[in-house]
Amino acid sequence: MLLDLSEEHKEHLAFLPQVDSTVVSEFGRIAVEFLRRGSNPKIYEGAARKLNVSSDTVQHGVEGLTYLLTESSKLMISELDFQDSVFVLGFSEELNKLLLQLYLDNRKEIRTILSELAPDLPSYHSLEWRLDVQLASRSLRQQIKPSVTIKLHLNQNGDHSTEVLQTDPATLLHLVQQLEQALEEMKTNHCRRVVRNIK
Amino acid sequence: MELSEYVQKGFQMLADPGSFDSNAFTLLLRAAFQSLLDAQADEAVLDHPDLKHIDPVVLKHCYTAAATYILEAGKQRADKSTLSTYLEDCKFDRERIELFCTEYQNNKNSLESLLGSIGRSLPHITDVSWRLEYQIKTNQLHKMYRPAYLVTLNVENTDSRSHPEISFSCNMEQLQDLVGKLKDASKSLERATQL
Repeated sequence: MLLDLSEEHKEHLAFLPQVDSTVVSEFGRIAVEFLRRGSNPKIYEGAARKLNVSSDTVQHGVEGLTYLLTESSKLMISELDFQDSVFVLGFSEELNKLLLQLYLDNRKEIRTILSELAPDLPSYHSLEWRLDVQLASRSLRQQIKPSVTIKLHLNQNGDHSTEVLQTDPATLLHLVQQLEQALEEMKTNHCRRVVRNIK
Repeated sequence: MELSEYVQKGFQMLADPGSFDSNAFTLLLRAAFQSLLDAQADEAVLDHPDLKHIDPVVLKHCYTAAATYILEAGKQRADKSTLSTYLEDCKFDRERIELFCTEYQNNKNSLESLLGSIGRSLPHITDVSWRLEYQIKTNQLHKMYRPAYLVTLNVENTDSRSHPEISFSCNMEQLQDLVGKLKDASKSLERATQL
């Protein structure tokens, strides 16, 4: 699958052959850093001064590179497809190789960042438990009532939340049994076939 | 067990065969237990024809005294000798003491169950449901190909009688971690009960 690059995009990327390959590598590093932490316009000004061009040009170059990397990572295109997609830009052999290397080196991390953009439910972080026995209450003395207190730690969009819950021994066994069945399900033929065939 | 003068007075009246004949006594006693333990009990439990001849104020007093005593006895897990001693002090005759104790014994389990269920506690997990999915793509990320679980815990709140749900997603490792920890808890429970 080839990348479809718009005219505007190609224009922005046209800046890259005009600079040194070390500069392109630096732009690549900046692009990934911006994906991790968010963009910082001051960087563009510093670079623009050093290269003696407008900061807009630098910004477009970096953004064009960012888009190239994120689109390729998102679609998980093969090395060959990447090379063919970049070929239409008419860059030098050396620049093409550099861009391919940038893609391969950063693909995994970029995909991780992109996965955080998906619709999100709270996800499991960890669990703590405690055994308790209730001995008495205001309305009934001399009890022996065992229970399990659970603190469930969840994450959502970087926020950490906790739920404190309780259950009785019978329900605990039921929970374990049900969730073990859930785990077993991945090992069934049906699931194995799906995993094997959907690629 | 500490009981008020009101209760004692009520029982003294209940003990008197002049105010309550055998039949009325039994009816009142049963009515007291029934209204405490039967969720669908009729509000007009004291409207029995065989109780009509008794002064309603007296009837109400004795009924309230009986109900109060029953709850206190249940709370303190009173045994037969404790019950007998108190009833003797209230001038109950042998027959009525026996009747009371038998009726109490018959209803003891329900009574303790009811009292044990009153009170505040943390949200209580009642059930779990799960869903296994295979993630293929999102609009931000194609070719994902990974399994994921969605787990929902059904929870009951004692206060508000509400049933919120707690849902969360997890991958296989995380679910294994979760199950492992719950298994540790249940093994610990097993060991503790064998001590």
